[in-house]
Amino acid sequence: MAVILGLLIVIVIVFAGDQTRGPLENFFASVGTTVKKVEHHFILQKREKKRADKLTWFSAYRNNMDSLRNPSVILLGSYDNATTESFEPIINLEDSLHTTFPLIHLFTAWGSKTEEEFPQLQVETILELGSLPVITWEPWLVDFDEEAYPRLRPVNERDKGGLADIAKGNYDPYIIEWAGKAARIKKPLFLRVGHEMNDPYRYPWGPQNNSPRDFINAWRHIHQLFDSVGASNVIWIWSPHPAYGYFDAFYPGDEYVDWVGIPALNYGTVANWSQWWSFAEILGNNYNLLASFGKPVMITEFGSLAVGGNRPEWFVDALSGIAQRYPRVKSVVFFHFSSDNTTTQQTLNWYIIDDAATTQAIIQQISRWPDVLKP
Amino acid sequence: MGKNGNKDLWRFREAKRVRNRDKFILLVLVIAAMASVLYFADWWFREKHINTLWFFILLSLFFWYGLVRLIFIWINYLHIRKPEPVEPGQCLSVAIFTTSSPGEPLEMFEKTLAACRDITYPHTTYLLDDTQDPRFREVAERYGAVWLELVGLPGAKAGKVNRALQLTHEEFILILDPDHIPFPNFLDHTLGFFRDEKVGFVQVSQAYYNQYRSFTAKGAAEQTYTFYGPTQMGLHGLGGAVAIGANCTFRRKALESIGGHGIGLAEDLITSIRLHAAGWKSVFNPVIVSRGLVPEDFGSFCKQQLKWSRGVFEVTFVEFPKLFWKLTGWQKLSYFMIGTYYLVGVTSLFFVLVPFLFFLTGILPASMSFVEFLINGSVVAILAVGIYLYVQRWLVHPSTERGLHWRGMVLKFASWPVFFLGFLLGVVNAEIPYIPTAKKAVSGYFTPFARPLIAQVLLFALAVVVIMIKRRYYIPESELILSAEKTWAMVGFALIACLMSLGGIIAAWLGKYIQVESPWDQVDLTTINTNKNG
Repeated sequence: MAVILGLLIVIVIVFAGDQTRGPLENFFASVGTTVKKVEHHFILQKREKKRADKLTWFSAYRNNMDSLRNPSVILLGSYDNATTESFEPIINLEDSLHTTFPLIHLFTAWGSKTEEEFPQLQVETILELGSLPVITWEPWLVDFDEEAYPRLRPVNERDKGGLADIAKGNYDPYIIEWAGKAARIKKPLFLRVGHEMNDPYRYPWGPQNNSPRDFINAWRHIHQLFDSVGASNVIWIWSPHPAYGYFDAFYPGDEYVDWVGIPALNYGTVANWSQWWSFAEILGNNYNLLASFGKPVMITEFGSLAVGGNRPEWFVDALSGIAQRYPRVKSVVFFHFSSDNTTTQQTLNWYIIDDAATTQAIIQQISRWPDVLKP
Repeated sequence: MGKNGNKDLWRFREAKRVRNRDKFILLVLVIAAMASVLYFADWWFREKHINTLWFFILLSLFFWYGLVRLIFIWINYLHIRKPEPVEPGQCLSVAIFTTSSPGEPLEMFEKTLAACRDITYPHTTYLLDDTQDPRFREVAERYGAVWLELVGLPGAKAGKVNRALQLTHEEFILILDPDHIPFPNFLDHTLGFFRDEKVGFVQVSQAYYNQYRSFTAKGAAEQTYTFYGPTQMGLHGLGGAVAIGANCTFRRKALESIGGHGIGLAEDLITSIRLHAAGWKSVFNPVIVSRGLVPEDFGSFCKQQLKWSRGVFEVTFVEFPKLFWKLTGWQKLSYFMIGTYYLVGVTSLFFVLVPFLFFLTGILPASMSFVEFLINGSVVAILAVGIYLYVQRWLVHPSTERGLHWRGMVLKFASWPVFFLGFLLGVVNAEIPYIPTAKKAVSGYFTPFARPLIAQVLLFALAVVVIMIKRRYYIPESELILSAEKTWAMVGFALIACLMSLGGIIAAWLGKYIQVESPWDQVDLTTINTNKNG
């Protein structure tokens, strides 16, 4: 009797708590917003040198979805692995390249962990810095909490047919929450979901676990959820792996895609499966196939290791040819990763900032681009 | 407040009887609270909250130390029992021992000894004196007490008590602190319980008459209300009421069976645990049949707390392990809980340091959202406060003792330097001299015990200034937003601790201006009302 009554009290309080959770959370959120506003007003606005001032040319783009879907210039950007506490590494890289990136790229995974929520602070910082965020959103399914998502299969069985589950709506609460936060940003945001979906070796959302149809259904479902919460500020990047083909089979459709993304990473001779490939060799004929979708093309991961060839030359070759050979390429995003152990047993260093020959080569090549491609 | 409350204090009080209905409601609340703790634990111990493993473990240890104690206190409340009154038989031989030490005010003894004389049950009062001041003998004899000169004995009062035990023959001994003014009916409420041959001691509530004199006095008194009511009633129900300094009546045979009164800084606790280990039963009677003094200034309060914390750790480290197997299960648990109470100094220091560690190194103890913590913890907090307020129906004098006791909480937190010092002294087994707690306010100076608190507040102010300068001029814009929430949440966290310590500093500062009075002068023994319902 007492046990029942006691549990009843807790249930009522917890339930009442859930009901009031909204207002309470809103209260704390508004405290947080106030703090940020105060700091924005009294600190950031008072700073003498603001990075955003160097990107005044970009403000025409920042508020115009149409020009972001079809830019006339080439938008430069970079990812850096050390940006959880500060974006200084990106600033340092762009300084060494004598430029200011209009795009800043981050990777974030799906799941129930705190770091798998919408990267609110990162995105706010990127906007404060005058750039726009490019988010590669990786649909890992193993981190979802069983209690919050009772319909999910056991963790070790989730990957098989995972994309079909997404399309069925099993992950909707997560997607909707994320999309809602993205919508409330109210500034354009590039989103790259389920990248390299045609690679059967790398990620669980590849064809080893899913059919191309599942991918398309999942993509469209996610897109529709974003539309339903009013996240019309999202620019969708569909990004297959250039080496594994079958692009048509995975393409979600013109009305669901804004950009086509291609990674272009030269692993040099670090592994037995790799060799020194030039930018042209990596893209091969795939550029033409991907360009045929009629969308602007983003080199989403642009980089070369230094092992097995001449790295400055690799960048010269890549950047000098872009304007003529790859006219649809409208964005180049550096892959600046000092400790990449996602592909090989060893840790790979994609950093170019401390390689003066390479940075000089890049500066020189970019300066030689036709003026129409430069901001 | 002045002395308005005073008249009300000099009246016999007893805790309300425990009805089945009350216990049922309490049981419901406790079950709800335990369920809420489980709910909270389920949230707390999530892998995603782990940032640095060792730091998370440390944080969990310190935080759950508090929660586990709370659970034990709730279980303890469920065993609340008020003993049925037992009329004492005729012709028991009873002694009252009270002790005097150099420096203690003579006038106070006049009042106490007069009150002892007025106790109606036939008895002999003994003054155990080592002042070597002839006036004490004079006063003792004027009020019909037997004066025993006991100089140069070890321990605080225990040495004198043990010597006096050899010199006297009474079967029952009430040990009374000299600042406690007993009511005439005192012995009527303790002696009866000794009809049970197994009862070794009978403890009654400890109450005060000077708590209105200062912030510190109020806070110090507030810290004791629940203990001398519901908590001890629960311990009594579990068969382990503890003897606590003043107002304890012992059976001579019981004391002799353990070789006399225990000696140490927490000699009452030592005596208590030894008696329980020797198989003696204890009784806690929730009645007010005397009133005494509580420290009025922060310095005296801290000295008292240092003495107790050091003493209690001594019991925990030395006595408890020795006697462990002789105690009943509940006694093991309750002595363990009492013995670890003062670890709160270590945990408070930890929580004081966490924000500063973050400011210096950027390390967070856990990757928890502060907001989520508050939301999930609020259910436990609501029920804990609910239980705390509910058991106040068993306070011995609810009209003056009820409340949230925020002053007591402030003082408890602001005592972290004292408790921590007590812990350190306990660990290295260092001696501190026995100092009797000041009977009059020690006024006109700023106690050194406030220094760590001032250091904490200054450090906090310095940290805020440095943080503001850094954020305004030095932290790059690429980093400012990313660090805003964490930084200001930590500043907020440190601010709470800082305000609590500020409370302690204010208490210490107010201590400079306390009017030094002799509170006993105001007490008129003829107005003491021993009627149950009067």
